[in-house]
Amino acid sequence: MNKNTHFKRYLKLDVLPTPWCPGCGNGIVLKTICQSFDELDLPKNGTVVVSGIGCAGRSAGFFDLDSVHTAHGRALPVAEGIKYANDALTVVVVSGDGDLLGIGGNHLLHAIRRKTDITVICYANEIYAMTGGQVSPITPHNTKTLTTPDGNPDYPTDIQSLFGYHNCFFARTTAYHLGHMKKCITEALKFKGFSFVEVRTMCIVNYGRRLGYKNSNEMLLNFKDVYKMNDNAEELAPDEIGIIRVNTDGHR
Amino acid sequence: MPKQLLQGNQAIAMAAESAGLKFFAGYPITPASEIIHEMVNKRHIRVLQMEDEIASINAIIGASLAGLKTMTATSGPGFSLMQESIGMAHMMEVPIVIVNVQRVGPSTGMPTLPAQGDVIQCIHGSHGDYFPIVFYPNSVAELYQYTIMAFNAAEESLSPVILLSDGYISHLYETITPSGDFEIKVRSRSPLGSGNRHFTGLSHEDSLPKTSDVDNYRRLITRLQEKQQSVAQRYNYYEYLECSKDTDTLLISYGGLSRAAYYFKNDFSLYRPIRMFPVVEEIRSIASRYKRILVMEMNTGQYAHEIERILHRNIENIPILGGRIDLTEMKQKIKQKMNE
Ligand SMILES: Cc1ncc(C[n+]2csc(CCOP(=O)(O)OP(=O)(O)O)c2C)c(N)n1
Ligand SMILES: [Mg+2]
Repeated sequence: MNKNTHFKRYLKLDVLPTPWCPGCGNGIVLKTICQSFDELDLPKNGTVVVSGIGCAGRSAGFFDLDSVHTAHGRALPVAEGIKYANDALTVVVVSGDGDLLGIGGNHLLHAIRRKTDITVICYANEIYAMTGGQVSPITPHNTKTLTTPDGNPDYPTDIQSLFGYHNCFFARTTAYHLGHMKKCITEALKFKGFSFVEVRTMCIVNYGRRLGYKNSNEMLLNFKDVYKMNDNAEELAPDEIGIIRVNTDGHR
Repeated sequence: MPKQLLQGNQAIAMAAESAGLKFFAGYPITPASEIIHEMVNKRHIRVLQMEDEIASINAIIGASLAGLKTMTATSGPGFSLMQESIGMAHMMEVPIVIVNVQRVGPSTGMPTLPAQGDVIQCIHGSHGDYFPIVFYPNSVAELYQYTIMAFNAAEESLSPVILLSDGYISHLYETITPSGDFEIKVRSRSPLGSGNRHFTGLSHEDSLPKTSDVDNYRRLITRLQEKQQSVAQRYNYYEYLECSKDTDTLLISYGGLSRAAYYFKNDFSLYRPIRMFPVVEEIRSIASRYKRILVMEMNTGQYAHEIERILHRNIENIPILGGRIDLTEMKQKIKQKMNE
């Protein structure tokens, strides 16, 4: 096998295709996670993937590793139980923004507090995609969704702000910035402690289409226009991507 | 082991340790908290106080899949929160033990008087069809014994097993001689991190989600039901005290309340289920010897309905509500029933 296809060893190729719609960004994230696994040469025995419920949550079943597809919002406590039971395992959570920040939001606060040594990859598509396109905790203000026909009255959760002074790793990246995404995920996996990667990705069918995007490529190119890389930030502005590490003493 | 004066909840913790418990996650709630208080002092058990009962049950599911024997303990409000994940653990076939020390409900009820209001929730609390094994002891010695049974049944069935208790027996102090003389079952499945299995709450076959294959779903549910039934049959526990006098009445009670029901052993025959679910088959032949069946329980008739459904005959129920176990009142209620 030639080197740049090695990431495929982490995938169950025979169970493809995925259930995702044409134009969905999830495949890009799934592939990049596998590339990071490959870069770190993570042993297949010894790595466990855990997900919640949603389009993103279905990722877990495509890894050629032991994986657990938990109830909606519960990936984090299951993953923490696994890690505390066997510290030698690398435990990776893959799930959606609604799953991790909405129904599972309380668990996220406490996983951060416990600094459990796991890595979370959040497929942040700003929407509850699987259920047809309802508002999510990170849908922007004024955006129309199925449940906010007059525009979202609320402002989105700033995920990074949840980490406060805790010793954690937080990164924001997008499905457009492939090299950057891979770097963020690889660094997160290397981080000893709780690490969280917010990957901005696109859902054309249940979100972008209703906002006037003609196709998913337009959404992807929008990431390029909106997000600027900031690699030395203390804190990322809403339109910045980069990595934030908080040291043990609470300083960034 | 020497004789010891133990509280019910202490006996549960001690037995869990003997059964090989390695991981406990829970959230404080009276009358179950002594269990986590005991656990934190045990050297070889990892204990996590989680943010809620949903996190607790999910953490023990994860730790169990990772290879450890795991347990959580709660009371009604926490048990309600756990329901979705209990169904998930049945679907994924995860062995865990859940202790529910019942208190008066619904909702916050009468904190924290004893009750038996969660009996049916044990088998129907989560959505969909699943077939849990449920034990309900009635003494400190039995709490010890059936905690070990619960762990064994969980390993044998690869499913969540429920140990019911109530504020009365869990807070009771009795002298027991904890026996080390139990067979301990070990895990038959290899832990996470040793293959490419996919554990999912979706209908599935051989690690593959099958969300629209009707025949496969039916096969899956049938297999799970038969498995639960066959494991349960190895734990056919009940107590039957035949009255020395001639009587046409069988009085059924269980858990904390059944301790008071022993008072009536010279008037009626007594039956006490210990394996509450699946309902022990022997009840059919025992019940057939009696004209009247009274079920006295600390709810409005949950087990009475279940017995009625199984026996296809009229059952009279005597609800003892609000956490008060008072012999004078019980006598009166039984007398009233007999005169009806
Ligand atoms: C307890 C519960 N409530 C609701 C649902 C329905 N549901 C399934 S997926 C989902 C939203 C998922 O959104 P997100 O996590 O953002 O994932 P996405 O589909 O966008 O990838 C909801 C509400 C459920 N499965 N379980
Ligand atoms: Mg989403």
